[in-house]
Amino acid sequence: MGFATEFTTLALQELPELSNQRKADGWRFVQLLAVNTDMGIDLIYSFMKDGLLVNSEIKGVTKDQVVPSITNNFLAAFVFENEVHDLFGVNIEGIAIDFGGNFYALAQKEPMTVISPEQKAAREKARKIAEAKAAKEKASKEGATPEQGKPQAVTSAHTADDDLEAKLAGMDPEKAAKVRAAMATKAKKEAARDGEGA
Amino acid sequence: MGKATIIPFGPQHPVLPEPLHLDLVVEDEKVIEAIPQIGFVHRGLEKLVETRDYNQFIYVAERICGICAFGHSYGYAETVERLMGVEVPERGQYLRVIWHELSRIHSHILWLGLAADAFGYESLFMHCWRLRERVLDIFEKTTGGRVIFSVVKVGGVVRDIDAAQLAEIIRVLEGIKSDYRQLMDAFLKDSSVMNRTVGVGYLSFEDATNLSMVGPFARASNVAYDVRSLGIGAYGTLSDFQPIVDTQGDCYARMKVRALEVLQSIDIIEEMIARIPAGDISVPVKGNPAEGAEAACVVEQPRGECYYYARGNGSKNLERMRMRTPTSQNLAGMVKALEGCDLADVNMIILTIDPCISCTER
Repeated sequence: MGFATEFTTLALQELPELSNQRKADGWRFVQLLAVNTDMGIDLIYSFMKDGLLVNSEIKGVTKDQVVPSITNNFLAAFVFENEVHDLFGVNIEGIAIDFGGNFYALAQKEPMTVISPEQKAAREKARKIAEAKAAKEKASKEGATPEQGKPQAVTSAHTADDDLEAKLAGMDPEKAAKVRAAMATKAKKEAARDGEGA
Repeated sequence: MGKATIIPFGPQHPVLPEPLHLDLVVEDEKVIEAIPQIGFVHRGLEKLVETRDYNQFIYVAERICGICAFGHSYGYAETVERLMGVEVPERGQYLRVIWHELSRIHSHILWLGLAADAFGYESLFMHCWRLRERVLDIFEKTTGGRVIFSVVKVGGVVRDIDAAQLAEIIRVLEGIKSDYRQLMDAFLKDSSVMNRTVGVGYLSFEDATNLSMVGPFARASNVAYDVRSLGIGAYGTLSDFQPIVDTQGDCYARMKVRALEVLQSIDIIEEMIARIPAGDISVPVKGNPAEGAEAACVVEQPRGECYYYARGNGSKNLERMRMRTPTSQNLAGMVKALEGCDLADVNMIILTIDPCISCTER
């Protein structure tokens, strides 16, 4: 028997049907996990049969949406549904063994939805790198046209700024703030010197 | 029939060092319902992927559990390698399996010792743990650590085992095997052990499949599912692998499955050592996991199937890392096995599930 994994997308209203179908077809419930994203919470339900691991993904669930429990078919899911409720604040209805938010003894409410400065910086960096890459690609395409000198110079300046921003975004926030302050001071000094020279 | 009473069990209990609490609803001496409660030691380790890069996080993954430490680093690395499309050299894969099976041997012998302690067989407990020390000695010689090894990295392993050490492992395991068979006889044939385990905490095949159970707990109820049979990594090169199952579904069957799996693991290690290829033990891994890339993998830990999931965000940190441990999957089965049992058997039933709450809460 081999092992293979699949990722599929699923609409929230299709979940009960999927759960019934998986149960009827003899699939084994593997797990439920949540991922905190800018668009909401992604829920991933995993089922396995004959070495095939299928991960069905519901994208961007918001806190005002009600997610039906699948514990009527798969009792083992009660642990994960309580976990997703406590750590991510997902509103799951009809859990067979419902702890009502007391499954984990936590110091902070819904801790996995807190976006840490590190995660924020990582996201910002990834976004800027992607933008810089796209700009570079665009510039190289435009470079094929007769008027290539000016746009290329502008793009390379943009890329250098973007690279610097990306580096700063990846740094420790305090260190990045110090670097920014030092750069601002340097820029002011240069501007003052230019003014005196004029 | 007496009045229903609720008896709290744990989170601190002499027989169970794990912080698990149960509300046992009892009538006379019969448990009619058990409501589990965990959450006393949630550490938020999954959240740490935001501050540790994907290479550093392997050391965090290893610290999820003190018993299946190697398995977690192995499962994590395997998942990140799938995420980044990294192919581990064959020798690295073989070495991972050797260490992983050694971990299973020490975990199962540790558990057998705890089980002996639970039913009051102190000398058997001591013999088990004495034997386990010899496995830990192998770890120390080959990795430098007895609990945390830090030998796995994304792309392979960081240390090789030379031919002399491989021969030494075979020699030690042969010695363990003969001593272990004597201990196994005590567990499987001694009347005092059988009195405490046969027919206790029964779980049928139907219940085990309906409750999606995994590991020796499920295999003792005749569920022939073992991740190793899926042939992930060097497990795919095994000449023959059949999961060890039993049909009795009680505490005795769960003990028997684990006891036999120790011998099976020794056979796997011997086969791996006999066929280990020469070559590199790792490949260099460059770059970061792509934004939005996802990967999932399963590994057979000593307690059963463990699920790993990783999502990249284009940076050196993962967007999300998830481990679903075997105990969290088996909690529903535990609740079912406790229904209708005698109050005096509760500790024995919980122990035969081999719960690891530290793994479960992470």
